[in-house]
Amino acid sequence: MKRETPLLPISDAREAALFFVVGALCFLAALAALTTRGTYTAAKAWGAQIEGEVTVQLRSTDRRSAEAATHIVRDIAGVESARLLSRDEIDEALEPFFGSGGMPAGLPQPLIIVVEAVSDDGTLLAPQIEDVLIEHGLDAIAASNWQYSDDVKDLLAVLRMIAFGVVVLLSTTAIAVIAFATHAALLARRDIVDVLHLSGAEDRYIAGLFERRFWLLALKAGAGGAIAALMMTAMIVVTGAQAGEIEAQLLPQLSLDFWDFVILLVTPVAAGLAARMAARLTVMTSLRETL
Amino acid sequence: MSPFKPDLRDEPAVRLDGVTLRYDRTGEVLSEVDLILRQGSFTFLTGPSGAGKSSLLKLMYLAHAPTRGVIRLFGQQTAELKRKQLAALRRRVGVVFQEFRLLDHLTAFENAALPMRVAGRKRESYQEEVADLLRWVGLGERVDALTPSLSGGEQQRVAIARALINKPDLLIADEPTGNVDPDMGRRILRLFSELNKRVGTTVVIATHDLELLRDTDAPVITLNNGLLARDVERGGAA
Repeated sequence: MKRETPLLPISDAREAALFFVVGALCFLAALAALTTRGTYTAAKAWGAQIEGEVTVQLRSTDRRSAEAATHIVRDIAGVESARLLSRDEIDEALEPFFGSGGMPAGLPQPLIIVVEAVSDDGTLLAPQIEDVLIEHGLDAIAASNWQYSDDVKDLLAVLRMIAFGVVVLLSTTAIAVIAFATHAALLARRDIVDVLHLSGAEDRYIAGLFERRFWLLALKAGAGGAIAALMMTAMIVVTGAQAGEIEAQLLPQLSLDFWDFVILLVTPVAAGLAARMAARLTVMTSLRETL
Repeated sequence: MSPFKPDLRDEPAVRLDGVTLRYDRTGEVLSEVDLILRQGSFTFLTGPSGAGKSSLLKLMYLAHAPTRGVIRLFGQQTAELKRKQLAALRRRVGVVFQEFRLLDHLTAFENAALPMRVAGRKRESYQEEVADLLRWVGLGERVDALTPSLSGGEQQRVAIARALINKPDLLIADEPTGNVDPDMGRRILRLFSELNKRVGTTVVIATHDLELLRDTDAPVITLNNGLLARDVERGGAA
């Protein structure tokens, strides 16, 4: 028994162009979603880290006293760990101000203890540390990083809104393009639609032909876009892992974990469903204009 | 059995009351047309080019709604039907379009089988039926040919097979013998006549082929400038 020829002709040049456009939009949408998630996750982790940290600056003292102070801090309840920054670490932190040669010899070397709190909130721990060190006769200023954390949270909120906007914009553009293409396809195949209509085909039967066609087209195009986004992400992740710390900061913060794969899998399905819905609405609306 | 059939057997197959048709930005193509075609009747529709024959047929096969007036098919007032009911009503009507309207990417067989496919029937259930009909119209050897490769006459015969495959209650043919030789023209007319007599199919044929009209004693309705004139001698039903 011969296989039935589809009632809509096999794809033509218009559909090839649409395939490319939908694929490109899915690629951009997936990449935007992955970048947003990666950046958001990284910023959230960094925010959590600095929220649980207290920085203690010691003044008018030498390194040996600073080491003793570090031991005192470690014994304070609520402190997970305390570490006196080495000279190299200080030089590295101040490199943007003094260059690779480090601090000039005449300037006093800052002594800084980085304290990690047991809880994620170092706000209450900072004054306690400061009091204990002052009791021991040390000139110390302890500060939690909550003010930076608030900045990070604000930044995250803005980032989330921008990313959401970009993803929504790309998705609606894809839907609009598909609806436009479906309408064009419908006009181009008006003869077929008319013959089917006059042969007694119900509206949903005719719409179903277009739905299946555009569902498969968008699904395949979306899969292509998602695979391209996966390859791009993998390339960025690998490049980031191989690059130095400063170079890595120039790249988007991307990862490839479970949820990233969920985003990549959902992208073609969402594109397919959007295409199907757009095709159905377009065809049904157009058919309702006929008797 | 169609849901329309049982209670409405005595209703005319086609009834037009005061039907007027006007396309956008044109004058009236049809004016106040009253027409009754009884079930089982065989009627010719003739008139000069541009008289409105094709427009009248389009109203009958539900391609257009009238600008004014009422159309009833098998007792059903078409303006009151839901879209699903209209689709079901269209499946009772076989149409041979003047310009054939075959689908170029389908074979002769697939074109002829289109109404079966649209009705949701499986290919194995109509395979023999379609092949037999195509053989009868002289296309037994061309069943797998794509329609663009067929001659005008062959395409017309595929269009006729498509109109007949569903054994319609109403057969509407717009110039069905326009592209075939006289012998095939007579065979087609004989087939329509057999359908009409044996199955009771209501047949309406638009033609300006005077030879065709001379060979038959069926009633003839004449359209002129959108107005109907009855052929009194032959008992035209206008």
